[in-house]
Order: sequence, then C-alpha cells, then structure tokens
Amino acid sequence: MRDIRWRWLWAAGLLAAAIATGAPARADEEPPAVPLTTADLKQVPVPSTEDLAKGDPGGTLTGNAGDIVVADSKAGLTFADVVTQVGQNRIAINFVWTLIAGFLVMFMQAGFAIVETGLCRAKNANHTMMMNFMVYGFGLFAYWVMGFALQQGGSAGIANLGGVQALNNELKLTLFGKDWGLFGTKGFFLADTTYDVGVMVLFLFQMVFMDTATTIVTGAAAERWKYAAFAISTFFLGAITYPLFGNWAWGGGWLSQLGANFGLGHGYCDFAGSGVVHAVGGLTALAVSMILGPRIGKYNRDGSPNAIPGHDIVLVLTGCFILAFGWFGFNPGSTLGASGAGNLRIGSIAVNTMLAGCTGSFGAILYMWMRYGKPDASMSGNGLLAGLVAITAPSGFVNPTGAVIIGFAAGFLVCVSVEFIERVMKVDDPVGAISVHGTCGLFGVLAVGLFADGKSNYGGSWNGVEGSVTGLFYGDPGQLVAQLIGMCTLVGVVFTLSYVFNTLVDVFVGQRVSADVELEGLDLPEMGALGYPEFQLVTPGLGRSIEVGG
Amino acid sequence: MKALGLVLVVGGWVIAVGGLVASEALALRLATALLGLAASLGGILTINQGHNEHAIWKRKGALS
Repeated sequence: MRDIRWRWLWAAGLLAAAIATGAPARADEEPPAVPLTTADLKQVPVPSTEDLAKGDPGGTLTGNAGDIVVADSKAGLTFADVVTQVGQNRIAINFVWTLIAGFLVMFMQAGFAIVETGLCRAKNANHTMMMNFMVYGFGLFAYWVMGFALQQGGSAGIANLGGVQALNNELKLTLFGKDWGLFGTKGFFLADTTYDVGVMVLFLFQMVFMDTATTIVTGAAAERWKYAAFAISTFFLGAITYPLFGNWAWGGGWLSQLGANFGLGHGYCDFAGSGVVHAVGGLTALAVSMILGPRIGKYNRDGSPNAIPGHDIVLVLTGCFILAFGWFGFNPGSTLGASGAGNLRIGSIAVNTMLAGCTGSFGAILYMWMRYGKPDASMSGNGLLAGLVAITAPSGFVNPTGAVIIGFAAGFLVCVSVEFIERVMKVDDPVGAISVHGTCGLFGVLAVGLFADGKSNYGGSWNGVEGSVTGLFYGDPGQLVAQLIGMCTLVGVVFTLSYVFNTLVDVFVGQRVSADVELEGLDLPEMGALGYPEFQLVTPGLGRSIEVGG
Repeated sequence: MKALGLVLVVGGWVIAVGGLVASEALALRLATALLGLAASLGGILTINQGHNEHAIWKRKGALS
C-alpha cells in the first residue's frame, strides 16, 4: 500500500516537473511568421452591389475594403494601396482637425466684436463693430501678401500636415557661432511651390490666429481711433510685427532654438499663443492707447478716473461665451493634428482650457466681490478671458491642477492689472484688452516655465530638443529662462515696433479723431451711419444728448 | 522722456539676450533676463510718463 502511494507521489512529481520545464519551452515556440501578401487582401470579403442597393440601415456594410483607393484598377487591391491609404488617412484626420479648429477660431471674431461693442457706448457701436469686422479683411490681405511668408516660410518639416516641405527657406544670421533664424522667405502670395494642400491648411490656421491678435487692439483703442489710422496700423501688425515674433516662436526662428543652441530647456515654448497672439496684441494695444491718450471724460483734472460704462452687458457676456467656445479650436487645434505623434493629448488640452477659463472667471469675481462688495459682470467676463489667455501657452504642457492654478491666478491678475493701468498709468482701455491679453499673455508665457510637467510627448521632441517640456516646479530651471527671454523679446521688440510705427502713423495720418467727433460719437462722422438709428443716445456726465432717428 | 523710455525698452531686451552669449551659467542668464525684463517694463512706464505730461485731461478747458 505504502509502495503504491510512493509511486503515485513520484509520478505526480515527475508530471509537475515536466509541466514546469515544458511550459516555458512551449511559450518560446511562436508560430512561424506568415507575411501578409496582396493575395491575402483578395480574400477580404467585399459586400456586393446588390447587397448595398438594399440599403445599410445598420451601418455594417458601408466602409469596407472596396472603399480603399487602388492605384491600378486592373491589378486590384494591393498591399501598397492599403499602406498608402493608412498614411493618407492620418494626414486627412489631421487636416480636418486643423481646419475645423481654424473655423472655430475664425468665429471668435464674432465674440470679440460683440464683447468690445457691448463695452463701448452706443454712439460708437457701428464704428467698433466695423473695426472688428475689417480686421478680418485688412489683416488677411496683409498676411496673404507677406505675413505668412515671413512667419512660416522656413518651417518645413511639420509632419502632422504632411511635411509642408515647400516652406523651406529661413533667413538666418550667424552670430557667436550660432544660427539666429530671423524670418522666412517662402510663401509670399501663396504662390509657386507653396500652392500646396498642406501649406493651405497651415495658412488658414495661422491666419485666424493673426486675426485674433489684430482684433485685440481695436478694443483698447475704441471710441477715439480714426478709421484710416486703424486700417494702416492693422495692416502693419498683420504684415510685419505679428509674423516676425510668430517666426521666432513657431517658424523655426531664434527663440524656438534657445534650447538647441543655448541649452535652455526646449527653447521658447508657446503652445497656442499666449505670447505670439495675445501678448503681441496686448502690447500693441498698449502702444496705440498710449499714443491716442484717454477718451474725453475718462479722467478728471486731478487725474482721478471716471467709469464710462458700456451700453450692453448682455452682448459682452454672450461674446465671452462665444470666445470660450472658440478657444476649443485655439488650444487643442494647435497640435495641428489628432492622429499620431502624441496628438491624442488633445483631450487634456481641451480640459485644461475649460478649467483655466472657469477658474479665471472665479478668481476675478472673487476679487471684485471682496474688494467692492459686488460681483462685477464685465470683470467676470474678463476673468474668463484672462484664464483662457493665460492657459493658451501652457495648455499642451501642463496637467489639470496646473491649469486650475494658472487660470485662478490670471483671474486675480487681470483685476489688479486693470486697476494699475487705469489708475497708476492712466492709460484708457475701454474693454480691458491690455490687461486681459497683454498682462495675462505674458503671465501665460511665464507659466510654461513654471508648470510644464514633463509628461507631454509630441513625437518625442519639441523645438528639436529630445524629451518633454518641463518647467521649474518639475525640475528644469532652463525652461524658465527661455520663457523669460521670450517675455523680454515681447516687451523689448514687439512693443517697440508697434510704438514706433504707430507714432509715425500719428505724425503723418493722425491717430485720433477730433474732440467734436468724439463727443458726437464716431458712428456718423467716421462710418456715415449710426449703429442704433432709432435710439435716443445720451452721454451721462457730459451734458450732451444726441437725439437721432424717430 | 519718450526717447529715454524707448532706449530702456530696447536696452532691456539687449541685456537679456546679451546674458545668453556672455555666460553659460544658468544663474547669470536668469539674472540678466530678469534685469532686462525689469528695464523694458520700466521703459514702458517712462514712455507713458512722457505721454501723460501733456495728457488731454490736463489741458486747460478740457472736458471732464
């Protein structure tokens, strides 16, 4: 009996040993690789024409192997056809994504127009709307003629859009043994080799960004800016100032190379344009507002400011919502693609955008409530925009916690900045554009250098430097220095260009309307028609009442 | 005043970029960038001071 037990135990032990030694051996035995051939593709079932003619209510037949484009109809579907289709699908997804994002950004013009018009007096409604309307025309024309070429003319290699290899010439200066990219030279009038599908997508997306920068200025200069001067100034911004900084940051220019050339993180990083779009617009707005001077009645003889309320807060807050909606094109669209190379991060970017906008409005309303005892509607709107502006540069590099902090800080910052600019500098900005876009744009640039968490991966590198963009709080102080150099360039170069050019416009054309025109309102004298012809317009505090229409 | 301000604004940028090529020490580059930014912002305030000297609300007979 005992022998039988031992035999069983011995047999069980041998079996266990065989399984233990045999299992890995079986795992190592992979089935032999069978190459997928064109012949296999012929076996893929394709629904017949008769089947499809019966309709496809369940959606199970539409979209099949028969829809793959074949190079040679006689040869039928080949492996090369499938691979080509996969590549084209990736680029098609990226094209559609970028174009739709661009369409959203274009619609932001409507938001800017009604925010600015609502914050101005009714007697200037037509003039303010027309400035916002025509930045689209003037800006686009300037950008098509030369702006796009200066900005993106040397930016070949954007893989998400198929490479855009036609944009292959950047003018560079060699100083201290380093190349300093200054501006691009391909793409004027979108002619010659830049008549290219990828270049067209890039042009549309970049054009609506430029347009956003130009429309920022109209808000700060509203209610006193001569229309002709506005047209010239807008053309210059769209043709020269914006594209130059855009090239340095996004077109392969010297700021983007601070990492590769000087070891400062990944160079100047501005994911969607806190600096390129908003600070450029905001600093130009500051320059123009300083040259124009404040509106009549804004300041008393002792320098104390008077509030000049806008005429329609409903328009203002509706416009803010439109802008917040458009921002989902602005930030996530700046990946220039949805497929491949880490572009699936678009979800994080959209959430960051949403969070920062919300905490921005929360920060601003909290500040106003604590300081003045009432939640202020227009500053709540500006807080929302401030949060969105501040998250624009870091949106692709930070986590949701960072986005919440950045937005909240921007909401506070915009209120402090509005007070500083109005009361200390005595610069009149009817809509708060300098603070929202200038101050918070610069803050957004700085925030990249602080909050970038090193988790993003857009194809393994950014600005030619391997790895992820990482800010000071996550271990890379070099990135902070690169961002500070970018801020210095915005203030030192962009502001200077805008100030000098607009001073020349002031000397040769004149920037400001006459006092009579300003008091009457700019609608009739400048535009030839009133915004609200059947209203009775009253200007409080100035003892002037203008009765119009019926 | 305006010209002095403009010199400060541009000078700030020159300081910041100059720091890049003057040294490879990160601390020095950080210091020059901060100094340059402060100078440029100070320059803007100086230009603004120049504009406010003859501001519309300071003029005799100005509507307020």
